[in-house]
Amino acid sequence: MIKRILFSSIIAAAISVSASAQEPSVVFLDNVSVSPDQTVDMIIRNGKIQRIAAELQAPATARAMTGGGQWVTSGMFAPLTSLGLVEIGAEDSTDDRRAKDAKTSVSDMASDGFNPQSPIIDNTRVSGVTHAGIIGSASQNIFAGTGFIANMSGDFDSVEKDGAFIYVQLGSRGGKLAGGSRPAAISQLKNALSDAKTRMSSPDDGDALSRRDAAALSKAARGQMPMVIGANRASDLLRIIELRDEFGLDVIIAGGADAWMVADELKAAKMRLIIDPIANLPGSFDTVGARIDNPKLLAEAGVDFAFMSFSESTSHNVRILNQHAGNAVANGLSWERALAAVTTTPAKWFGVDVGSADQGADTFVVWDGDPLQVTSAPVMIVINGEEQPLISRQRELRDRYNPKREDTRAHKYR
Amino acid sequence: MKSIKLLALTSAFVLALAGCNETGDDKKAADGEGDADKKLAFASTYAAFPSKSTLITNAYIIQGNGEAIENGSVLVVDGKISAIGAGTVEGEADTKINANGRYVTPGIIDIHSHLGDYPSPSVNAHNDGNEITGPVTAEVFAEHGVWPQDPGFDEALAGGITTLHILPGSANLFGGRGVTLRNVPSRSVQGMKFPGAPYTLKMACGENPKRVYGQKGGPGSRMGNVAGYRKQWIAAQAYKKKLDAGDDIKRDLRMETLAGVLSGDILVQMHCYRADEMVQLLDVAKEFDYKITTFHHAIEAYKIGDVLAEHGTCAAMWADWYGFKMEAYDTIQENVPFVHAQGACAMIHSDSDMGIQRLNQEVAKTWANGNRAGLDISEAEAWKWLTLNPAKGLGIDEETGSLEVGKRADLVLWSENPFSSYAVADQVYIDGALMLDRASGLKPRSDFRLGHPGAK
Repeated sequence: MIKRILFSSIIAAAISVSASAQEPSVVFLDNVSVSPDQTVDMIIRNGKIQRIAAELQAPATARAMTGGGQWVTSGMFAPLTSLGLVEIGAEDSTDDRRAKDAKTSVSDMASDGFNPQSPIIDNTRVSGVTHAGIIGSASQNIFAGTGFIANMSGDFDSVEKDGAFIYVQLGSRGGKLAGGSRPAAISQLKNALSDAKTRMSSPDDGDALSRRDAAALSKAARGQMPMVIGANRASDLLRIIELRDEFGLDVIIAGGADAWMVADELKAAKMRLIIDPIANLPGSFDTVGARIDNPKLLAEAGVDFAFMSFSESTSHNVRILNQHAGNAVANGLSWERALAAVTTTPAKWFGVDVGSADQGADTFVVWDGDPLQVTSAPVMIVINGEEQPLISRQRELRDRYNPKREDTRAHKYR
Repeated sequence: MKSIKLLALTSAFVLALAGCNETGDDKKAADGEGDADKKLAFASTYAAFPSKSTLITNAYIIQGNGEAIENGSVLVVDGKISAIGAGTVEGEADTKINANGRYVTPGIIDIHSHLGDYPSPSVNAHNDGNEITGPVTAEVFAEHGVWPQDPGFDEALAGGITTLHILPGSANLFGGRGVTLRNVPSRSVQGMKFPGAPYTLKMACGENPKRVYGQKGGPGSRMGNVAGYRKQWIAAQAYKKKLDAGDDIKRDLRMETLAGVLSGDILVQMHCYRADEMVQLLDVAKEFDYKITTFHHAIEAYKIGDVLAEHGTCAAMWADWYGFKMEAYDTIQENVPFVHAQGACAMIHSDSDMGIQRLNQEVAKTWANGNRAGLDISEAEAWKWLTLNPAKGLGIDEETGSLEVGKRADLVLWSENPFSSYAVADQVYIDGALMLDRASGLKPRSDFRLGHPGAK
């Protein structure tokens, strides 16, 4: 891929580094933080963390980042987004998240709608998100189709894992999708799981799914593919544990506003949850138990969780994931656990590598400050050994209209 | 905005200005016009909660007016800032707090909220924020939809919100009147109304009105939007002319609101995204000789900061929301600081029951991005976007929005620098009364929360 490398003369931050054509590309990081209580020296060579030690000499050819205060982390992973499936929320012609009138559901592959060239991917990447789980919304039954994992390089080959998970909507919304009630949704799920294990002779033999949709559910129905199930109410969460055990599924719960109420049960069941750490309002009768210290209480109970921004955005503003993690810290969660919840924890569940700050890593982010601080931003991003451009449509607009710009021509000529 | 004119039309406001919530005193405020009942409608019954005199020492004080005091003290007496300065200040207090270097700031003001009108839980019965029955509903009042039991008010307080402005939604060209509230527990909205705060009029540009009414008689285009504004202003001018002449005219609630705008007593809060549309609307305002106080959302305000500065019109913006519709496509993460740097009045706003809980972080984000792009704005200067500028946009900057002697003691004591993700409000004071205290667990709890398992 041809990387567009544009650098505004205005953006002359002391620590900015360019992915210019120096060969080999060597970056030296002096006193860089890898956790709140550890700083190291680091040499990055050709998109890989080559050496880490307490004290290192800067290689002669290195671009040095010595502005101070940098941090290195793995990439952020946003587990449940619609990135690249929608450009403008209110414009149907740009929106591939839903197919209300389709005859298919589980067999709809979200990757068939993915546009890695969307400027939204760039906006997301430059904020430190390197990978995302991507899927649409359930719209004509409880199944949202089949999701995938992509990196945020914007490359045409950025889908790293297709057929990565199934999404099932339960709770009150699932009930409406299934015809009107929670019992109808649970019935639909059970019937679909049964269909997925049945050899059908005609396309519409299934109780809940057509032959192709049943086949698409087959792996998840046998516990060989993660099934992400959306639900919030405590009673729904317990019901999901029962269903998982009854059918032998590989379940990850998405939502979990009430999870703190049944933390011990979730722990005993080794359940994994994707929760929104700032969701604290009783926005519906599914979430009257929502509270700001949900992550802290789950951590204390030993429950495994990752973060996602259900309350703010699952597409355009996914980039504020680090703000969410920071707010979890403000409300009692450890920094390490909060960072893991937006990086390695969900990446492991979905079987993708978002790198680390360790020697040998070829995916990582260098930040200009604590990555969980709202005031911090990436200054270098490497995905699979390739340094990523720190540009985006928004930054091109920024540079065109920057009050400090020197270019006095009319805006369209800038 | 500093001069607050008396106007018979804005009744509650007049009464409150007269410093009196009693019914018998309306004659002096009424200025001899209109009938008494009209004057009394929905008057503020706000009364400050009981407070003790309080001295906070050893604080990093961000005053909200662009100034900061590194190691300062603030004395609160009778609900007002009595003294503020470096080191220690003169005066005795019942309660003494050593901030140990923690930050003290003015209470945050959100100029764009729908709390109460779109409360939690968001069930169908709670959709009280848009009167989607016609594109012109200047006669409705946001306060008549406000449910004071919205649990969102309590969580906003925990985010340091002491004053907030509730607006009708943006479905209509003229959405109705907005209301400024003190963020205090009250059984009625009247008990929250900011005494003396001017009413506002919510108007909307662009996609929303034409989308909502395109198939319902119009407007169906941006052309129809502008024609719709102009038609109403022509009618309002005629109404006001009769009113000013003392003619005996039949009351018209819609025209009362619009005439109030034309006489400068009701402030226009205009939902508008695109730069070109904001410029169009400034021309409509010029044609009919009224002022647009603040453009809300103003996604493209950074493109016309100089124009906004020239017109003295503020912009209330998000830090990074975008893309939910076409007119929201051109967001940049530096919108607020870029508008500020062009000399215009910039501020943050939430339009969200989540965002209102951490507006300090929203400012921190956009401030950091602005400086990263080459600006050099201090934290103290950026804090104006949270308090003094929204106070100006609401016409209450003489009373709140900065920590200065004589102003209302609306302040927040933060656990650490409020430009950090990790900062939480340790204490929140409104008119000098302690409304929230993390250490003791003091926090208001809506009736709705009772019997449910959620936040205590």
